[in-house]
Amino acid sequence: MNPMNPEHALRDLTRRHFFSRCSMGVGSLALTSLMAGRGHGAAPAPGPANPMQPKPTHFPAQAKNVIFLFMAGGPSQLDMFEHKPLLTKLNGKPIPDSYTAGKRFAFMDSSHRSDLLGSRRSFQQYGQSGKWVSDLLPYTAGIIDDITLVTTCKTDLFNHAPAKLFMNAGSGVFGRPSMGSWVTYGLGSECDDLPGFVVLQSGPRGPRGGAVLWGSGILPTTYQGVPLRSQGDPIVNLSTPKSISQGQQRQLVDAVRELNLKRLVETGDDEISTRINAYEMAYRMQTSAPELMDLQGESQATLDLYGIKDARETSFARNCLLARRLVERGVRFVQLYDTNWDHHGGPTENLEKHLPEKCLDIDQPCAALVRDLASRGLLKDTIVVWGGEFGRTPMGEVRESTGRNHHIDAFTMWFAGGGFKPGLTYGETDEFGFGPVDKPAHVHDIHATLLHQLGLDHKRLFVRSQGLDFRLTGVEEAKVIRELIS
Amino acid sequence: MQRPFSLVLLVASLTHAAEPPMPAKIEFNRDVRPILSDNCYHCHGNDAAHRKAKLRLDVREEAMAMQALVPGQPEASLLIERIMAEDADEVMPPPDSHKQLGAAQKEILKRWIAQGAEYQPHWAFVKPEKRPLRDDRNVHPIDHFIQNTLEANGLIASAAADPATLIRRVSLDLTGLPPSPVEVDGFLRDASRDAEAAYQALVDRQLNSPHYGERWGRWWLDQARYADSNGYSIDAPRQIWKFRDWVIGALNMDMPFDQFTIEQLAGDLLPDATTSQKVATGFHRNTQINEEGGIDKEQFRIDSVFDRVATTGTVWLGLTIGCAQCHDHKFDPISHQEYYRLFAFFNNQDEPELKVMDPGVDAGALTASRKELEARLRDYWQANADRVVRWETGLTPEVRQSLPGHVRRSLGVAEDKRTLEQQLVLLGAAGDGDKGFEELKNRYQEIGARLDKGPTTLVMQERAQPRRTTVLIKGDFTRPAEEVAPGTPAVLHPFPQPAALPNRLDLARWIMSPDNPLTARVIMNRIWQQYFGRGLVETENDFGLTSTPPSHPELLDWLATTWIERKWSLKEMHRLIVTSHTYRQSSRNRPDLQEKDPNNYLLGRQQRLRLDAEIVRDVALTASGLLSSRQGGPPVYPPIPDGVLNQGQSKRIWKESMGEDKYRRGLYTFVYRASPPPSLSVFDAPEGFTTCTRRIRSNTPLQALTLMNDNGFFEFATALEKIIQQDGLESAFRRCTSRAPQPDELELLEKLDTLNAARVLLNLDETVTRE
Repeated sequence: MNPMNPEHALRDLTRRHFFSRCSMGVGSLALTSLMAGRGHGAAPAPGPANPMQPKPTHFPAQAKNVIFLFMAGGPSQLDMFEHKPLLTKLNGKPIPDSYTAGKRFAFMDSSHRSDLLGSRRSFQQYGQSGKWVSDLLPYTAGIIDDITLVTTCKTDLFNHAPAKLFMNAGSGVFGRPSMGSWVTYGLGSECDDLPGFVVLQSGPRGPRGGAVLWGSGILPTTYQGVPLRSQGDPIVNLSTPKSISQGQQRQLVDAVRELNLKRLVETGDDEISTRINAYEMAYRMQTSAPELMDLQGESQATLDLYGIKDARETSFARNCLLARRLVERGVRFVQLYDTNWDHHGGPTENLEKHLPEKCLDIDQPCAALVRDLASRGLLKDTIVVWGGEFGRTPMGEVRESTGRNHHIDAFTMWFAGGGFKPGLTYGETDEFGFGPVDKPAHVHDIHATLLHQLGLDHKRLFVRSQGLDFRLTGVEEAKVIRELIS
Repeated sequence: MQRPFSLVLLVASLTHAAEPPMPAKIEFNRDVRPILSDNCYHCHGNDAAHRKAKLRLDVREEAMAMQALVPGQPEASLLIERIMAEDADEVMPPPDSHKQLGAAQKEILKRWIAQGAEYQPHWAFVKPEKRPLRDDRNVHPIDHFIQNTLEANGLIASAAADPATLIRRVSLDLTGLPPSPVEVDGFLRDASRDAEAAYQALVDRQLNSPHYGERWGRWWLDQARYADSNGYSIDAPRQIWKFRDWVIGALNMDMPFDQFTIEQLAGDLLPDATTSQKVATGFHRNTQINEEGGIDKEQFRIDSVFDRVATTGTVWLGLTIGCAQCHDHKFDPISHQEYYRLFAFFNNQDEPELKVMDPGVDAGALTASRKELEARLRDYWQANADRVVRWETGLTPEVRQSLPGHVRRSLGVAEDKRTLEQQLVLLGAAGDGDKGFEELKNRYQEIGARLDKGPTTLVMQERAQPRRTTVLIKGDFTRPAEEVAPGTPAVLHPFPQPAALPNRLDLARWIMSPDNPLTARVIMNRIWQQYFGRGLVETENDFGLTSTPPSHPELLDWLATTWIERKWSLKEMHRLIVTSHTYRQSSRNRPDLQEKDPNNYLLGRQQRLRLDAEIVRDVALTASGLLSSRQGGPPVYPPIPDGVLNQGQSKRIWKESMGEDKYRRGLYTFVYRASPPPSLSVFDAPEGFTTCTRRIRSNTPLQALTLMNDNGFFEFATALEKIIQQDGLESAFRRCTSRAPQPDELELLEKLDTLNAARVLLNLDETVTRE
């Protein structure tokens, strides 16, 4: 180290300051020392290094990345995956008392019952597994042997924003770290010019709950998700002002870093460390993000596979292709939100018109993503997750058009790649699809399973907070669902 | 739901690194309630519809009647039998609840029953009592509470921050603007003579500054979910900025918080309500309005009432009342029916626009003279109607066709249906009008124009005929159940029954009753949160049973009771807080604090806080000398990046402001709810969809891109560059950070070209942070 180099001198000072004088943990120092002895014992990196640098797993991982396709609003499993002839037969009738007696129902009691609504979709069996899929999902039907269906997913909360938080953070409480932040915190990122946790959105508006869904809670803010715009500039203010050269921009970033570093030493505030990294990342993103969003290098065959008509236009399909490009570049956690899946049955949200429209938007791209990842050898390392914050009731909301209410006792999600067993259907629901008769899969269990595939033990994924070890996935019991994985 | 951490455990773990010791005397609120609330109440609590085995554990008598509790006899209590059971079918909580009691928790429940199973009411539902301070040390009361807890944990407070940090901190906190280098110099000089007097004088200046109302107004506007558009998918612009200006004005004049509340919730119902009091009712007009075709208007009206109930509950009561919209509250003693009794208060309004005249315009006199002119013009019409009819019948189709549009349109209206305006048009077109008529008409139209001018604002107006309110099954407006009368939750202080049907004014007065256990605590907690980054109760929007216990309960109660004693003066309370040592201490981290209290719950130091979105802008504008000090008025349209407004269903207009309006404070920027200005939202400004009682503070690459590349910030940098060229780097540095640069800092900046040096200064963490 050259002592005349002010940067090195400052870094040296920083290190001495924190290791000997203060013994305060900052940035990755805090994390690495924190993780020591819990299977995360990498040697401390010098200076306030990148908190996103890859970290060792608890045990060998089956997967490296996650793409979560989030159908915000709660897709109707009963019109897409769950074939229930008895429900159709008893359409319009109340759930028989004999059937419901002694059962635990979420937010239902005898005075609040409404009548059963049979699906009006036609179902067929597909693939070797012979799994039933409705006519709304012809492309998904085509990959049915490549995905793992879980029909008995179960959550705790039945309003949109809290339930979305629950699916993302394992808790409906505002300000908990989200799943993407657990993963980037636990594993770091293998991409140094894009954020480790990226959020893409499609649909008429943002998901209810907004930025807290990809927040980092008590984890450093470095780990929160970064939304990319799919229209115009991928990121607002991505381009350097016209009169500023690349060299000047670099100079700016360097000078800001030096001065911030100095302030970090003086104040011991970890947020400065986060900000230093944010500037580095911002600078690199200025080149890498436009390159990421530019689909000109993709073949027409690929665009056709996803059903992308206009490569510049926002769509769920385009976001799926971008998700593949993101994991290709080492981005750890990609989350796609597609909104307007809340089909209660009103004039703008019914099962007759709007659910089919949503399915048309997502069916082909979802299947294309799985096929594309597989053909590029990425699927074995990437878990694709499909689902919403909850499902919808077997009982209908019948007005001029039909819809279904929020349902938390049993809903469908699917998984592909990353060691999930292809072609498997896990769990079984009753004849109305109301609740599981076998093998419930609680959201906490799903979290534990996803982390397990990434090489992380949810019971050992802690952050030290207030003198206590705070388990990121929450304190509730959660188990890895071994049957889902090979 | 469970709370993240128990502060009791924290305090215990600070003293003993291992397991917390078992307290000898079990206290229900401290030891037992968290266990029951997290593990049992979901199925054995307040929600009757969801209750299992008809057992409730939140009411002692009922739990005893079911043998769940036999006071003094844990071995006879079914509760203990079930939590100790090993059989999966027997054990409570059941395995599928994913909840499990630890050995220590089981022991606490046993001991509690052995000691008599006494309950205590939830602390937040009991009126705070002013307790005398326990010792007579001559310390600021706030410091007394904070330092006691620090000492109990073997810690001490930090030394006072240096004067330059302090003036920047208190200026940003009270006015949202940094001090100028001249102000800093003056304060340093005064402080060197008498630090205490200089600081007190500084606080006075800040509290008297008109910018105080802007800074704390924005705090309130977050809670009021204020924005400038209607929301939903159309999101058309709306005019309600008069409400924003009302808030700023009310805070600047230190309107007592009880009056502040009453005017906003029910200003229209006050006797002889003034325009200002009506404008205040805009608080609850900040709900979204759905303008899509084909919607059921009633559905969205009900939705806005839901929002008003939930917002009132969150903002003033710190309760998640909205949870009882569809069913009994799961945790708090608020029934489904009580929810609709609150709903009834907000169900009796019309939602008109109010025209607000400029203060200089005498609307009454103008209206009177318009009436008089109108009568004279009608007479004139009577006298000349025949002439006009003759002219009209004489028109050939060709001539008729050649007449101007407004004349043809007036002719198109049947003779007896014509308005005065149309009659005037025809009188003019028919010609031969005398000079007197022309003058009359001009004066009439001019007065009309003056009366029409002036902004409108959205207000509440009580209906003469109240709507019928019923319980709505599962919150569904198509499923009414039993009718309910307006009323308040039984768990809180009694609602005095007025003679007539109670209305919003009665509700507002009930909220501001000194018997209310919640409001003073809730608001004080939220003010505390602004100063220290976190409330004394961390769940600032929920003081119910699942809230986090206060870190300093006695301090919270002291603040609440003191506030009421001081007649609800916010400025008094601000003064109290910012003059404490707790507030004035350094924010620098210390090894012992990092070790024992890394998240600063005990406040052994101040907290560095990244500035709120609007203030990030204000600081850059101030530093670059561009800031316009103009206050109030219609929202402005500073430059924004391309393409951020053309998303969504409708095209939004952004007519870029000219001149001074380009450089107004951030809180005056027009906010479309569905596409808020990126430079604000990237720094976590709320969109105004629902009430925001705490902003998150993110720290992302997007913020870096904004400060480096955004057109607006780049323009500020070019202005700061001029300052560097004229006054030197040191001056520019001080404008950004309020302190002098150190030699190595200066040296580093001198190596850059002046524009880049200016950009660096605006990008410093220190510039966007209050230390």
